[in-house]
This record gives sequence, C-alpha cells and structure tokens, in this order.
Amino acid sequence: MQGTAKALPGAAHGPKVRARRESGLSIPTLWVTAAWRPRKERGSQPGTPGSEGGSGALSGKSFNSSRKGVPGGTGLGSRTQGGWGPGPGRVLLQVQAPGRGRGPRAGPAWEPGLRPLHPPALGSHARPLGYAQAPPRQIRLRSVPPPPARVYLPCRRRRSRRCWTRRPAPSHRPAARDWLSAVQSEGPERGRAFPAGAPEAGAPGCACAVRAAGLVPAELRSWAVVGQAWSVGSGSAAATGWGAACRMPEIRVTPLGAGQDVGRSCILVSIGGKNVMLDCGMHMGFNDDRRFPDFSYITRNGRLTDFLDCVIISHFHLDHCGALPYFSEMVGYDGPIYMTHPTQAICPILLEDYRKIAVDKKGEANFFTSQMIKDCMKKVVAVHLHQTVQVDDELEIKAYYAGHVLGAAMFQIKVGSESVVYTGDYNMTPDRHLGAAWIDKCRPNLLITESTYATTIRDSKRCRERDFLKKVHETVERGGKVLIPVFALGRAQELCILLETFWERVNLKAPIYFSTGLTEKANHYYKLFITWTNQKIRKTFVQRNMFEFKHIKAFDRAFADNPGPMVVFATPGMLHAGQSLQIFRKWAGNEKNMVIMPGYCVQGTVGHKILSGQRKLEMEGRQVLEVKMQVEYMSFSAHADAKGIMQLVGQAEPESVLLVHGEAKKMEFLKQKIEQEFRVNCYMPANGETVTLPTSPSIPVGISLGLLKREMAQGLLPSAKKPRLLHGTLIMKDSSFQLVSSEQALKELGLAEHQLRFTCRVHLHDSRKEQETAARVYSHLKSVLKDHCVQHLPDGSVTVESILIQAAAHSEDPGTKVLLVSWTYQDEELGSYLTSLLKKGLPQAPS
Amino acid sequence: GTGSDSCHGARGGLAGGVVALVNSVGLGPGLRAWAGAGGARGESWRAWGGAGRGAGPRLPGLGHGAFLWAQVGYQDFHAFDLSEATRVLEWIGDKGVFVAGYESRKKNEILHLTLPFRLSVKENQGLFPERDFKVRHGGFSDRPVFDLKHVPDTRLLVTSGLPGCYLQVWQVAEDSDVIQAVSTIAVHEKEGHLWPRVAIFSSVAPGILHGVRLSSLKVVDLESQKTMYTSGVSDSDELSSLQVLDAHTFAFCCTSGRLGLVDTRQKWAPSENLSPCPGSGGGRWCAEVGGRGRGPGPHIASLGSDGHLCLLDCRDLSHPESSVQCAVSTPSPAPELLRVTWAPGLDNCLAISGFDGTVQVYDVMSWDGMGGQAEPLFTHRGHVFLDGNGIDTAPLVTTHTWHPQKPRTLLSAASDASLHVWDWVDLRASC
Repeated sequence: MQGTAKALPGAAHGPKVRARRESGLSIPTLWVTAAWRPRKERGSQPGTPGSEGGSGALSGKSFNSSRKGVPGGTGLGSRTQGGWGPGPGRVLLQVQAPGRGRGPRAGPAWEPGLRPLHPPALGSHARPLGYAQAPPRQIRLRSVPPPPARVYLPCRRRRSRRCWTRRPAPSHRPAARDWLSAVQSEGPERGRAFPAGAPEAGAPGCACAVRAAGLVPAELRSWAVVGQAWSVGSGSAAATGWGAACRMPEIRVTPLGAGQDVGRSCILVSIGGKNVMLDCGMHMGFNDDRRFPDFSYITRNGRLTDFLDCVIISHFHLDHCGALPYFSEMVGYDGPIYMTHPTQAICPILLEDYRKIAVDKKGEANFFTSQMIKDCMKKVVAVHLHQTVQVDDELEIKAYYAGHVLGAAMFQIKVGSESVVYTGDYNMTPDRHLGAAWIDKCRPNLLITESTYATTIRDSKRCRERDFLKKVHETVERGGKVLIPVFALGRAQELCILLETFWERVNLKAPIYFSTGLTEKANHYYKLFITWTNQKIRKTFVQRNMFEFKHIKAFDRAFADNPGPMVVFATPGMLHAGQSLQIFRKWAGNEKNMVIMPGYCVQGTVGHKILSGQRKLEMEGRQVLEVKMQVEYMSFSAHADAKGIMQLVGQAEPESVLLVHGEAKKMEFLKQKIEQEFRVNCYMPANGETVTLPTSPSIPVGISLGLLKREMAQGLLPSAKKPRLLHGTLIMKDSSFQLVSSEQALKELGLAEHQLRFTCRVHLHDSRKEQETAARVYSHLKSVLKDHCVQHLPDGSVTVESILIQAAAHSEDPGTKVLLVSWTYQDEELGSYLTSLLKKGLPQAPS
Repeated sequence: GTGSDSCHGARGGLAGGVVALVNSVGLGPGLRAWAGAGGARGESWRAWGGAGRGAGPRLPGLGHGAFLWAQVGYQDFHAFDLSEATRVLEWIGDKGVFVAGYESRKKNEILHLTLPFRLSVKENQGLFPERDFKVRHGGFSDRPVFDLKHVPDTRLLVTSGLPGCYLQVWQVAEDSDVIQAVSTIAVHEKEGHLWPRVAIFSSVAPGILHGVRLSSLKVVDLESQKTMYTSGVSDSDELSSLQVLDAHTFAFCCTSGRLGLVDTRQKWAPSENLSPCPGSGGGRWCAEVGGRGRGPGPHIASLGSDGHLCLLDCRDLSHPESSVQCAVSTPSPAPELLRVTWAPGLDNCLAISGFDGTVQVYDVMSWDGMGGQAEPLFTHRGHVFLDGNGIDTAPLVTTHTWHPQKPRTLLSAASDASLHVWDWVDLRASC
C-alpha cells in the first residue's frame, strides 16, 4: 500500500489563506526585536552635509564610527568602542524555541531590513501560515502541521514577568501616529525597503502577535496574542511594512568627559533615534585641548546641529556648562539648549567671570567672547521643575530637583517608552538653604549618575559647620579679620545663614559684611527662585526672609581699614579680581587675620596659589605680597555619597545604572554593590567608550471588542501567571495597530476567504464496486470513530466531520480502488489519523 | 538648672542651646566635664558659655546642631553615617579601619576605610579639606559579621559570625577595591547559637586562636590549617573574649567572669581567676588586658553587664585590686556588645561602652579600692544627641576603639549606623 500526499493550494487563485490555530500547541516563540533607523533625518535638503548621499547619510559615517586615539575599553558586556550616531536602518529578528532564553541578538542584520519577517528567520519549523504561494513541497501525512509563529514583543521589564499586569500603563504610549510618521519620513529608504519583486502593500507581512495593550482593560493585559500582521490602508506607510514601524531597540551612551574622570562633564546619549548631549562642561585643571570635551567625536566636518536633537545643562557649575559658548558659538550648534530658570540666570554670570580670568588674567587668545556668551544664552530654553517639555514630536524631557546648588536638576529624557535619567550633580541630604534631590519611581531604562563621592563616607555637615564656626569665632575673638571670598550665589547664602544664626546664638558683636551689590543680587535671585530652596526657608519666607540678615550688613570699601574684628563675604570667589582681592591685599600681612576659601579655585588665580601653599605672591607692578594671614579651605560642596547614590537608584528603579565622574578602579565595589542590591547592570565607561544597552520597546495594539469577547467566551481569563493566547489578525490602519478577527481583517482588505484542503489517495485492494467500497469504509469508520459524526451521503461519499472520502475505480487495476481523502487545514489531525487508518486496510468483508 | 525641662528642649529639636545641654548632663555623672564645658572653660569658647547662661535665644533651624555647637569637651569631632551598623572596628595600621555589618537577613558589607587625612596628620591643621572617610576596599559577606580580625602584615582577614560554626578568611585585593572570600576554617561546635571568638598570633606563620568554649580552644595555622595547640580541658565555660598578648601567651575571659592567662608552650595550666569580682550580681563579663600585661600595676580590666568593673594584676589574678560600679543606669541590654578598652597612649585610662548610647572614659588611678562608685572622666553622648529621634529610640553603642597613635582620639559606632571619631579634652588638665 502506498500513500502519497500533496499539498493542494486551496481554490488556487489568491495567495491569502486563512488559518487559525487553537491554543495549547507547543510552538516556537519568535522574539521580534525590530529596529528602526535611529534618527529622523534632519536637514535632509540637498546640499547640507547631513543628507549627503541620500539615505547613505544614515550610515553613521559622519559620526566617525572608527574613532582613533580614544582609550579603548576592554570588551565588557555589551560595550562597544566608538561608533556613535545613527546606524543604518535595520530590522533585527530573533527566532527562539521556547525555553531557550534570550540569547545574543541574532546574527546577520537584515539590510536594509524592511523585508517581511518570514522565511530565513523562521526556518522550516516555523513557516508562517500566511505566506503567499507556499513553495510546493511534499508534506508527509503525519507531519505536524506547520505551526503559526507566535510573535510577541517581550514585556518591557525583563527583570520581572509580573509586570505584565502589575505595571501601570505608561502615561505616554508611543502612538501609532509616531510609528507612522516615522515610516513616512523614511523617504529615501523606502525604495530599498523590499528586495525586487517583494510583495507590495497588503502582502501578509508576517505572523505576528503583539503584546496586547492599548485599548485592552488592564486585567487582560496578559493575553499573548497570536495572529497575522497585515498592513491595511494606503500610501507609503503600508508599503514600508512592519519593520519600519519599530524603533532602534538600544540606548547608547558615550561620555566625552567625566567618564572615569572628574571635570568637563559631557555625555552623549542616543535613545530611540534621538541624540542628546548631557552637559557641556570644561576641565578647570587644564589650559590646553583637554580643557573642553572633544566635540569632533560627534562630527568631524558636519554641523553639530544636524547630529544633536538637543543639549541639556544640569546646573551652573563650570564643569557642567563651561564649554557651552565654545560649543555653540565656536564649534557651532544652533539647536535648543535646555536648562532650568535659575541656571539660565546664573550660568552667564559664571561664564563671564571665567572668561575674564582666562582672557584678562591669563591673556589667552582664541577664547570665547562676552558676545558669544550672550549669543549662546539666546539658544537656551528654560524649563520648570516637573514640566514635561516636548523637544520634538517624540523626544521629551523633564527636570527633577537635584539639590546641590540653586537650580540644579536631574533630567529625564524620554522617547516613546524608553527613557534615560541623567542626574548631573546631586545631593541626597538637605542643607541650610536647599532641599534633597528627589525623583519619582520613573523606572528609566538607564540611570546615569555622578559618583564623585561614591567612595567617600562624608563627615556630617554639622561637624564641618562647627569647625568653620569655631575657626571664625577664634579669629574674631582674638581681634582678627576674616575674609570669605565667595561667588554671589551658591554656598555664600548657606554660609551667611550659618553665621547669622551663630552670631544670634552666641551674641557676638563683631560685624559681618557682605560685599556691595552682592546681597541685593543674591536676594533678587533667591526671591525669584524661592521654590528651589528647601521647605524650611520656603515656609518661613512669608514672615521672615531668611536671606535678609540682621547681623550681615552691606560692605563699604572704607570698612576694610576699620580696626577690630570683622567678617567679610566678598566676590569673586577665587580672589582673581575685584573686591575680594582688594581686601585680601589689605589684610594678608597680618597673621591674626584669616581667609577661608569655601570652594574650588582655578589655576592661575590668587586663590589657587595660596591654597597650594604659596606665601609670596607677585602682584601687578612687580610688587610682592607676603601672605601672613591664615589660609583655610573649607569644602561645603554637596554631592551624593555611596549611600545617596544607592538611595537614588532605589527611588528611580532603573533597569541599568551608569556611573560617571569616578575612577573605575576604585568603583568596582560600588558597581558590585549596585548590581547585587538592585539586580541591575552597572556600567562605567571611560571617555570615548560607548555603552550600548538593548531595550525592548513595547508597541500598543488595540483589540476589537468583538474579538475580545469571542476569545473570552472560549474559556478562562488570563492571569499574571498563566497568560493565554489570543488569536487575531494584526492590521495597521489609520495610524494605529489593531488586532481584529480574521473575518474582519478580510473584510477590511476586501479579500475573499479561501480554504486550504489537503487531498490524499489511499489505494485499497477491493474488486467490488465503488459504492460497496464506500459502504465498507463507512461501516468501518462508524465502528472505529464512535465519537465523531460519520455520515454516508447519498452521492456515495463518506464524511467524517469535515473530511470527505470518496471511492473511485483505479484506472488500470480493476482490483484496486482509490480512496480520495480530503480535509481542511483545521482538521489536519483527524485527517492524517483517518488516512493512516485507511492505509491499514479494511476489515475482511463477509464473503 | 531645671534639668528635665531644658533637656526636653534640647531633644525637641529646637535650640534650648547650651543651657539645655549643660543642665541635662548636670544630672548625670558627666557633671564635671559638662559643667566645665558650659562655664568659661577653653578661652575661645567663652562667648558660647556666656550665651549658655544667658537667655538661650531660640532660633529656628538649628535643631540638634545645638549639641555640636556646644561640644566643648572635644578637640575634634566628626560624625559619619555608615550604610549599616557595625560591631567591628578593627585597625589596619594607624590609618585604616575595617567595619562590617551584622544584620542577619541580608548581605553584609565588609569595608576597609581610610581615616580622614586630617586625622592622620601630626598637628591639627585647622580646616583641612580631607575630613571624610574613604572606602578603600569592600566585600560582601553572606552572614552577619560579629568579629573581624586583620592578620598583621598580610592582606588577610578572619571573620566570625552566625549561622554556621566556621571562620571565614578574606583577602583584600591589591589591584582593585574588592575584598574576596578565600577560605573557611571549620570550628567543631554543636551549639548553633554560639559563635567562635577569634584572636591572631601574628608571626611568620600566623596562627588563629579560636574557640566557643574553653574546651574547644585551639590555635590553627592559617596557611596549612593544622591545629597547633588545643586546650585539652573539658571545662565547658562559654568564652566572651580572647586576646593574644605575645607570641606564646593569650588571655581569655569567659561569660561567667572567669579569666586567665595561658602559655601555649605548656600544658593547660593558666593562672586564673575562677569567680567574678566580689560584690557584683553576676551577668556576663568581658575583659581586656592593657599594656600587654607587662610592668607593675593593674592591667586587666573586666567588665560585667551590670556595670561592675574589676581591675586585676596579671601577677595575681585571684585578688582583684579594685572593684567599682561604673556610672551606668541600667544593666547592658545586649551583653555581647560590652566593650572595655585600655587607652594605648594614656596611662591608666580605659573606655567602656555597651550599656546605652554613650562611651565613658575612666581614669583608674582615681579609684580607691573596693565597692565604690566611679565617675567617668569623659562621656561621649554624640550618638544620643546627633540622632534625630527621642530618647526612646536612642541607639546603643556597638563598639569603640582607641586610635593607636592619637592618645585621646576614639572611634565609636552605634546601632543606628553612626560612626563617630572624637578627640576629647581632659578638663582636669586645665583645672
């Protein structure tokens, strides 16, 4: 007995085959990690450097992917060296059998990647059912029917599957509008989207299921969805297909400064196709090239504006904003620069201060000018705390309070469902005038945190204050004068509050002065930005302004010669010019006096010289000043220590953590600590080294109510522990993804439903007539298949459910009858069973 | 002063200021030191004292800072917050110290900290910028660390804890900041709730002295893990402290108060004192031998959980030289945390802790004979006053140690994870 089988395409003319499959089958899981080109092309007008070579501009060549001269990273995890910026658009696919876990990303990326998902990736085992014109091939009758691929995007948080249900729906879902607009902007690439002869619009893209979200009520979110993807509709969007509608699933971070290093903070972040520069600082210790970050890393020849979507400045310290005028006016950047209102107000003052030192004191040429600072500040967009700012359609940023200094902020950068939080410098303990940093449980993909004091256990602020007061008090008691050079805003206010309170308590009579103009200016800013100070000051502000001091009076230059003790706060903070330097020169000769430097001093300033121990200073006109007064240094800088960093990580609950501002060798323990406590990855890239984080974007899909009801009627509702499969057809229509019933999809597509039937011939030795053979088959099957509906039709054919059996005479051998067995795809199992049963022959007929 | 009222003021967070503090301590045995503090003591602090006696102006926004502002008894004071409380303060050189967590339900950290640079310099250089501890090395222990000993001249550490009766050996990495577990030393002890005490014989081949009871006392070679010495007795007295005195002798103290000196070259024949000090009500005991046990005078101090302190002469352990009641209000709530330490740089000074949130410094020379009350020379109350809570949740001092070089500098840690470094002033000197 011989059996042959052939796959018969259904009624033949259309490629669309309807197929459904019940749940419960073991079928391979297809993880789709679909990537889209990293950035919307800006400046794509012909002639601009960015659009050079049409779509080729996307290949990242301007981003100088093979960077040289940058200290290389050791191949740690997913780190890669260099190559920052947009890469070619591509779709990455990964096919995995169940239980194999997530391996590394599947090998060859599809270039350019907008093909339908199936054959090469799926392999023979996972042939998508909807594939048009299935290649003719033999199907053995007992073979397991080709299962549909179950495709879903992994749930967003790999850490815990529970998030399927527990996690609240993200407030901002990447609307399908976004995907579509993205697709439409693909312009130049569209033509290359499919290989020649590839299916056009309406082709069955792939068997695909997407995590049900969107319109689905929360408790149903654990439906896994099985179905087919179709693009419906018109225009270019449909033509580009599925792949184009997905984003680049990775976040890349490259520090240009501050990687394993303190000073000149500058970090490039590429997220969801957007490129953001975080901070633009300078290194105070250098006068050469190393002073500013190496912006040529971003682009050698192109315009920076074409490569960066925005720049964000965390606070006004020069190691975070000092390179800004150089960057925007000298290198050339015209895009938006975001910072908080206080930073916007204070930053130019500091920059101007610094410019004066560099140009006037050190005589540097080729430095940015005052006008450049002004022009640069014109590009600044100021933001409020907790205000979500839409940089463009997709990129949004939000500032959180960071403590540290007035106006310091942490920034959340968000594209679609992916986000990065950059802390800048922050402080987790409140001080006398500022509060502690705070962030909500925003669960970013990545938290970039400073780690300046990560290996430090800090002496309590009170002890530092006590020592400061003790020093001041001792000096005043013995009749000395105390000079505290300060910058108008920042620590000065804190020290004033401290001294004021102490004077009040201890009932001291020695006068405290604040240099001219300073109080007014400071008061102005603090009144302006009262919301940025801590709660206590805010509360008491109405009755009593903490910045209007009872004991602290405005300074007059004549006071410096007054006899007797006094304390003077004077600007500038580094003793490089102005009032503080004047007073210093007057007082330096008396050993009873004291100068307290409350902060960092730039090289070349008098402040730096005396702090490094110099006691004979050469002033203008070859005059030598001997410093006999006591010189003290007092660090009041407010950074988070290891405990603070851990607190912040705990608050934000990121998926990974990246440390900047620290030495890698000293931070291995902290890295381990973060990884152990929070079960997240922790990275410490060096300057120029790129950390790449794969992300798992989730795409919301709406489900039609009809389909949902039908599926719910079929049985148990899914739970967090036991997801269920949901069958449907995914269509992309009117800027949204929808999962609908197959019938509806067909209707929308204007297609007729086709049925796929398999027919098989079974040869039987039987010399009787066909009708008798059929009758024998009928009675045999009737006796064997008691549970099934077996019928003998008037035309002589036998049916078992939907399976049709007809007996025919053999054309050559009259002693042989041919049984034609035909079944639908849905009844494949029964069909193959019947065939095998019939192949064994019929029981001996009573003669 | 009306002590209790102003005491509340100080605790309430607003500044009762110096008045409150001076008065509150006036109630206790710290009277002398604190009254001195309040008065016109150190010259430069006169103004503060004056204010203290005055109206005590109440300003908003000072809180417990009041305590610090009035820390007149201190030459130096630094307060730190560790990420977890420690029972260990083990020196490595005179610039580094190990701390380790002792929580039972989580991973505990072992940290190698270097002292603030400011404390390492010989003379006090005023507002020296470096006043922070630095974490040099760190490691994770799966079980709580009750005791930690550094093996001198090596990068090795030995820790003891529960559960599981074994000692863990650690190595401090040279090229990174990690402390890694390298091996364990098994301790054969059936009882699960007791942990072995440890001391180190430092020599070319370091030996680990450990034991849970007198009967299980042994010395194990660190490298080969061979047993070098066993007590060989059947006494099942539970040990509370072990201390190595020189290459061949060590001192032990049992929780019962029994203590003795042992020479490992001979068979078990310690010179010992079998019973606790006369006049004490029992409880648990711990002891420390000062001055390496040489020279004349009392050198062993043994402290009971009821605050009884005995001094013994090494040459005659059976007759205590003096026995006094320390100025503690209640018996120790956690006798495991009892500590008595001799000052390495001062003659006849010792410090005790483990009764409450204070560390008390005593001068043993001022004691006369038996049964008297002893007044502390200095009481460190920083752990109580810097803590923002009320007295109910006042932390317990878990351990303290003297700085090996600076005579009056101590480190103390408390159950709220605070770590203080303080240099106290002997106010008798300026009397």
